[in-house]
Order: sequence, then C-alpha cells, then structure tokens
Amino acid sequence: MIFRLWPAVLALGLIVSPLRAQPNEIRKSVARINNTMQEGNYRVPWLPGQLSGGSGTGWVVSADRILTNAHVVSNARFLTVEKEDDPKKYIATVEHIAHDCDLAILKVQDPAFFKNTKPLALGGIPELESTVSVFGYPIGGERLSVTQGVVSRIDFRTYTHSVLDSHLTIQIDAAINPGNSGGPVLQNGKVVGVAFQGFSGDVAQNVGYMIPTPVIRHFLKDIEDGHYDRYMDLSIGIANTQNPAMRKGLGLGDDDRGVMVSSVQSAGVCGGKLEVGDVLLSIDGHDIASDGMVELEGERVLMSEVAERKFLGDAVKLGILRNKKPMDVTIKFDHAWPYLMQANAYDTQPTYILFGGLLFQPLSRNLLGAYRFQNDRISYFYDNFVTKEIYKEHPEVIVLSEILPDPINTYLGEFHDGIVDEINDHKIRTLKDAADAFAEKPEFYVIKFIGYARPLVLERSAVEAARERIRKRYNVLAEQNLSETEATSASR
Amino acid sequence: MRRIAFLFACVLLPLACQVRADEVQPEAPQSVVRVNVTNQPWDFGRPWGKRPPYSRRAIGTILSDNRVLVTAELVANANYVELETAEGGQKVPARVEVVDYEANLALLKTDDATFLKPFKPLELTHAHIGDTLSVWQLENTGTLLVTKGPLTTAEVTRYPIDDSALLVYRMTTPLQFRDSSFTLPVVKDGKLAGLVMRYDNTTNNAEILPAPVIEHFLLDAKKAPYEGFARIGITSSPTRDPQFRKYLGLDANTPGGVYIADVQRDGPAALGGVEQGDVLLQVDGQAVDQDGNYRDQEYGKLGLAYLFSTKHFDGDKVKCIVFRKGEKKELDVTLKHRPVESYVVEPYIIDRAPRFYVLGGLVLQELSRQYLKEYGNDWQKKAPENFVYFDHQQNELFKNGPKKIVFLNRVLPSEMTVGYEELSQLVVTKINDLAIQSLDDVPKALAHPINGLDKIEFDGEPKIIFLDAAQVEAEAAGFQKKYRLPELQHLN
Repeated sequence: MIFRLWPAVLALGLIVSPLRAQPNEIRKSVARINNTMQEGNYRVPWLPGQLSGGSGTGWVVSADRILTNAHVVSNARFLTVEKEDDPKKYIATVEHIAHDCDLAILKVQDPAFFKNTKPLALGGIPELESTVSVFGYPIGGERLSVTQGVVSRIDFRTYTHSVLDSHLTIQIDAAINPGNSGGPVLQNGKVVGVAFQGFSGDVAQNVGYMIPTPVIRHFLKDIEDGHYDRYMDLSIGIANTQNPAMRKGLGLGDDDRGVMVSSVQSAGVCGGKLEVGDVLLSIDGHDIASDGMVELEGERVLMSEVAERKFLGDAVKLGILRNKKPMDVTIKFDHAWPYLMQANAYDTQPTYILFGGLLFQPLSRNLLGAYRFQNDRISYFYDNFVTKEIYKEHPEVIVLSEILPDPINTYLGEFHDGIVDEINDHKIRTLKDAADAFAEKPEFYVIKFIGYARPLVLERSAVEAARERIRKRYNVLAEQNLSETEATSASR
Repeated sequence: MRRIAFLFACVLLPLACQVRADEVQPEAPQSVVRVNVTNQPWDFGRPWGKRPPYSRRAIGTILSDNRVLVTAELVANANYVELETAEGGQKVPARVEVVDYEANLALLKTDDATFLKPFKPLELTHAHIGDTLSVWQLENTGTLLVTKGPLTTAEVTRYPIDDSALLVYRMTTPLQFRDSSFTLPVVKDGKLAGLVMRYDNTTNNAEILPAPVIEHFLLDAKKAPYEGFARIGITSSPTRDPQFRKYLGLDANTPGGVYIADVQRDGPAALGGVEQGDVLLQVDGQAVDQDGNYRDQEYGKLGLAYLFSTKHFDGDKVKCIVFRKGEKKELDVTLKHRPVESYVVEPYIIDRAPRFYVLGGLVLQELSRQYLKEYGNDWQKKAPENFVYFDHQQNELFKNGPKKIVFLNRVLPSEMTVGYEELSQLVVTKINDLAIQSLDDVPKALAHPINGLDKIEFDGEPKIIFLDAAQVEAEAAGFQKKYRLPELQHLN
C-alpha cells in the first residue's frame, strides 16, 4: 500500500543505516505486506470496482499476529506477507481494523510464518531530539530498509486515512517513503511507533509521522474482547475563556480556569447532559485551563486527551458551572459517534438505488470525491451535517447523483444534484426509506427535493416499462444496494 | 458589478470584411456627447471607507428635453460626472437625474441650459430580427466611427444586476477598440435602437439594451417617485414532461401552461391569489407555452417576464388564468416593482454607504450580495460558503425572518476583545437576549446590558461571547481614534 501523500521518492532523504547494532530478531520480525485491493466505484456502484495492488510493512506484535496500518490492508481482497529470510509467501487475513486510528491486526494462516520471529515489545514516548530507527519496505529497492531520524515534535494531528480523526502523533525527520507504512519505529530495541504518514516532497521535506504507543496500546486494549469499538469522544465544542468580560459573564474568577461549552451534539454522549454556556472546570479531577488544556503526567495536553484514553463503557466525571452554580456531571461513554459520512469509507460497498434511470445515493466524502455537484446545497449539507445537526432529520442525505438517459427521464435534468425530501408524502430519512417508498405501487411516484417546490413525477407504468430497457442498455448488474457490507442480488 | 468586457481584438476576424464602415451621417456627431465619470465605490470589507476612485469615459446619447442617456453601470457610485463635446472638447458638470440599476439605465442633466442647445436629440425606434444596426463610437478627433451588424436575436435574459431579467437584443458586429467605448449607442435609420451593454470580442457578439426597455424607463422617469420595472413574483418550471402533465391533469384540451414552482411571499402573484403548484395557462388573453413563453407580436416567442416588466407598468392589472386541481381559475394580479430593501440579502447596494456598527472592536454588518462580491468575480466559490448559500436560497430560508442577516465581519483587536481576535464571518442571532432582525436592533439591544455585560450570541462557534458594557462605552472614543475610524456606526 502506498504511503499517503507521498507521490515521489525523495532520493536525498534516504539515509540508509548500516544495520550495525540491530539484533537479528528485529529484522526477522518485520514483514512485507502485499495487498490486492478492490474499491467500489461510486459512479457505477453496481460494478465490482477497480482492482489495484499495493505493499506496506507490518511487524510481529504477538506470538501469532502482525500489526500494520489500516490503510495498508484496506479494501483487501487478497493479502500475502513475506519475510526477508523466507522464500515463501504466506496468506494473511485482517482480524481487526481500526480506520479511526489507522491500525490493523493480521492473522497468518500458516503458523510456520512465525517460526524464528519474536514479538517486538512496545516502549514509551521517545524524548524530543532522541534518535529512532524506521524499519520497512519502502520503494527504491526490494530488501528491508532502515532509516534513522530524530524526534522533532509530539502533537495532535489529523489522521489522513479517515481524515475525520485526530490523535497523538510524533513527527520525526527520518525519510519515510511509500511502503514504509505500518513499519515499526524502534528505540533501544523497543517499538516506539508505527510509521504512517508524511508530506509530499514539494510541501515539506524530511517530515514523517508515526503513531505513538499510547494510540497502539489503546487499539490493542480495545480489541482484547474480540471487537473494535472505536475511539470515544465527548462530541462537544468548547470556547476559550481568556477574555475578562467572558469570564465575568460566565461567573469565573481570575484563576485562568475553565472553558465554555459552545456546542453539544445531541447524538453524542453528552447530548442532554451538557448545555451550551456550561463551563467545564475539571475532567476526572484534572483542572481545565482557560485555553482548554489539562495537565496529564506532567505534560500540558488538550482536554480531549482524557476522553481519548477511555473505552466503550467507561465514564468521565466533569466538574462544571451551570448558571454560575457548580455541579458534577458524569458522562458515560455508551456509544461511539454514529455519523461518519464525512470520513473516508473503506471496506464498504457503495449503497444506491437506481429507479427509472435515476441514481440515488447517500451523501458521503466518497460520493463527493466521485462527482462534481453543482448544487451549493449539497456542500452546505455536507459541511454542516454535524454542526447544524442535519443528521436529526436526514441521518442519510439522499442525493439524485446521476440520471441514466432514457425517454422516461429525458425532461428531468433540472433535478440533477437535488436532495430528496419526500417520496409520495413519506419523509425520506435514509436510503432504506426511499427503497420502501419505491416498493409501493402508486399510480405516480412523486419525489420532492429540498428547497425545490416542483416535484419530480414518474408514472409507475412508465417506470415498469423502462426497467428492463435501462438495465440492459446500461448493463446494470443490480438495481439497488442498501447494505454497505455486501452487495445484494439483482432483484428488488 | 459586472463591467462590460471591452477588450477588443486587434486583428479582426474575416467576418469583419463583410461589414464595412457606414458612410458618416452628417447630423450624427451632433446627437452624442462624451461623458466623463469618476466612480468611487464603498469598501464593503471595511465599511467605513471607500475604494480609490477611478475614471471612465463613455458616450452619452442626447434625448429630448436636454437629457443624456447612459447605462446605469457607468454612473454607479459616481462622485463626479461631466459632459464633453465630441469636437472641441468643451466640458460642463452634469448630475444623475434618474437611475435604475436593475434596468441598467440612467438619465443625466446639466444645469447649463445652453450646452446641449446646438445638438439634435435622437428619437427612439424598435429594431427587429434581421435589421442591420449601426454601433456608434467616437474617434479621438470627434468624428463618428460606425460599425454595422445584423440583429440576430431578441430574448429575455439577465442584466448586470443578477436579479433582473429583461429584454436584450443580440447582434454580431466587429467593434474596434476606441477610447471611451462605454455605453455605445446602437442606431437604426438615424434613431436610437439601444445601447451596447456587453461585448465579447472573441465572438463579436454584442448584447444591446433595447429600445422597448429604454422607452419604459423614460416613461417611468416622468413620474415621481420613480417606480421601476414591475414583476409578478413567481418562479416557474417547464411542463414538457408528459408524465408530469398527466400527473397535473393537463390533457390534450389544455395545451401549454407553465408550472408555478414558487410564489414570492407577499409578492404581486401571492396577493392576487396565485398559489405554488398552479399552472399558468394565459396572461392577458395570451397563451403561455410549456416553457413559460408567450408569442409577442413584435419579437415572437419571449419569456413572460417581458410582458410583466416591459409591456406593463407598476400598478397595472393583468388577468391570469391558472389551472388548479382540474379547474381553470381567473385571477387578477396587480404588478409591482420589488424594492431592493425588501430582500433579506440585498442584490445590490449602490450609491448608498454600507450599514455597520462597531461594538468594542466587533465589526457588525448586514449581509448583502455587494459584500459577497468583495471576494472577486468568483465570489460564489471564494466567499464563505454559508453566506453564498444564504444569498442563493434566501427566498426559501428566511420566510419567517430575519429581515436582514447581521454578521460579525471581523474583529479589530483591543483590550476589550482579548481572546476574540480570530472570530469572523459569524451570524449574530441575539444580543442581550434580544433577537437581532437587522442592524437597527443592535443599539436597542445594547441599551439593556445584562449585569453590566453585553452578551452576544452567534449561530456558529463559539456561540456566546461577552463584552464589558461600561468598558465599551468608556473606550469608544479612544478606540475610534486608534483605528482612525470616521465613525463607529452607520445606520442610515
């Protein structure tokens, strides 16, 4: 798999270290992963999708498991792993994949793979300025490569695999290139991170990022019960309280403490428990500063780091001020954030309905990547889906994304890019609602779009007469798929 | 405002050979004068100031009663206007007597009664498809340069103020580049047939503001106050789709008709009883076709807007026959001009200073398209997405208010606004618990601080901020001086 955002090799950046003091076990425990991928095509969602190949790196994390990046093994149809001193290709399968923190666990069917390997131990957070070694199979050669670099920065950063999530990240100046992804970064014989993303050479040079061990440990702990539950999140917005009038208005003293709650997602764990205007003073006993930072183990970190360390079923205790009165609120992390349409989706099949040559698809980041919509309402709905809680009325935003021309729809061009509001007076909240409405047998199907009072009308007899014609003409393998996990058969 | 693209190609296309310069009519130069204008628009990004002035030269057509006709674009935000004789170059100050930015026309007058005496006013004449028209330009010497071309099309289309659609003539003519080529008269048989409004030098297509619109403007200009072009206040959608016609119940006995997709709230059509969902079949006894055109005696098929805006005047009654739920209904609609102030997001603000209120460094303004156009020609892509969305969808989104959208444009940092420096482009919803419907509500709300604080609420993060009311008042003068603001508010 290709390292994200790295289009070209940085020949000058390659500092190949002469493998001097590296114990042999480390080399033996690092594997090349080859992935044959297939990604659904959102323009022609009934087709199986394009095949492509890629390779990355993984390492033995326990007696019979390999750890790598989620993006190395996403959309996998067939995976093999290889070791440097073993001619065999071993077949592997994904056991756990965490798209929100870009980590995955692979199982290898043949136990012979693990002969001569030793699980690499996890270390802590390396010191700034200390040296680390990156192991992997980047482009530029066939054999294992090791590069060295210095720890430059420890910060919260967006994980580009999902694009929606941010976690702790360590920046190093070692050359990390496509193929390095998933490889271990070692210091004193222990893994201190997993190489995972960087910048293209024309943006910044010698900037590579690794996933640090707190994130790796969080992932490993989460899957202990055999299921990945995802990261927990308070799903609130906060505003700083540095302004003296702001502090006075919120009932705060001159102690630089507290942040104001500026939004509460009703679908998040704090929905109904916190209110806009509440002041957060402490989280699990840690004081929150007026800029939203808390002190954890001697480091000033964002207060969201406290929630980052939680798991499904855990709780967090918040000391708050509501209408200037102090009180305690306990928030239980009873579900992960449910609406992910703004994140990159992997290992899913595009969902859609084709009806009378009209293609209806739920709005998502993947859909926006596939089309060029002209309707500015679509980008407004996408960008404000969470902030304006559009999900309350439209958990899925159903877009008329394409019209396959046919006499039945030749006058319907004006509805292209519309967002479906109602079909035959049924409010359309999800694609399933649309499928149910189309399954009815009225004389006319009357489709209303948001902000567009003129309805789209299809005569049922005309739809039925056109059905086979459209299927044949456009080689439509299936007229709908309502489930992201598997393609349904051709019939409706 | 869009300006006419007067970039003339130096090399004329072969087409130009077919059209040769007309013989100069001896009386012609005596019907036009040069018009020199200095314009200085307001800076909507910094609403207390104006942009640097710039000057343009144009040709004014002399009409009866010592009036000079030019396009409104020429005199938009004019500081100074003068007339200059083509030969001899004598100059005299002039003023704008009547201007209509929607119809893009203006009448100029000079107090010097003798200046225009030697000239011969032009009469108006309608042109028709196939006519050969002459476009007049002036050489530096003052001689007339005449270029001819055929009138190819007459249609209803958008004017420079995006919201108005009126009649336009199109002609093909290879105009040459000359100084002062703004507002060129188009002449047929020695009479004025129109003014060049836009010219595309790559296709040699000119859009002409036609005589019927000019005549209408001149008649309106005789009345005080000036009323402007009327409209009916509907949005229509074609009924070509046979399925849609069947659904509406339009059978073979009811041909044509256009679907009324939206009715402007409290607009002429709404007051006359027209409803969304009606099909407009006839106006003034004229059949309306499936696309919303009627057959004009002079120009053939034309959009209905021509009938409402140009054939009729503000206050005229039209008889409409609509088809509603299987029945025909006759409705009387009194046409009215829609005042620009009635828009939530005003389509243009010209010759008026932007309204603003500086509150302790928070620059509050009302959203207008004039403000959005500060983002340049591609403002629809560059301006804040939600603002563009509000502008485009204003008829739908703000049916129940507010009257204007008040927003925080930027923060001029000071001691009062520490911590708020980064805030910008936020819609203000409430101040001191009073809903803000327009900037006029701001001083009213500020009269009642809450516990000595001004509480300002936004529709986006951080949702709530506070200012110290006494501090804002005490520091106002010093703040105004520091940022050299001529005034802290402009609400007229």
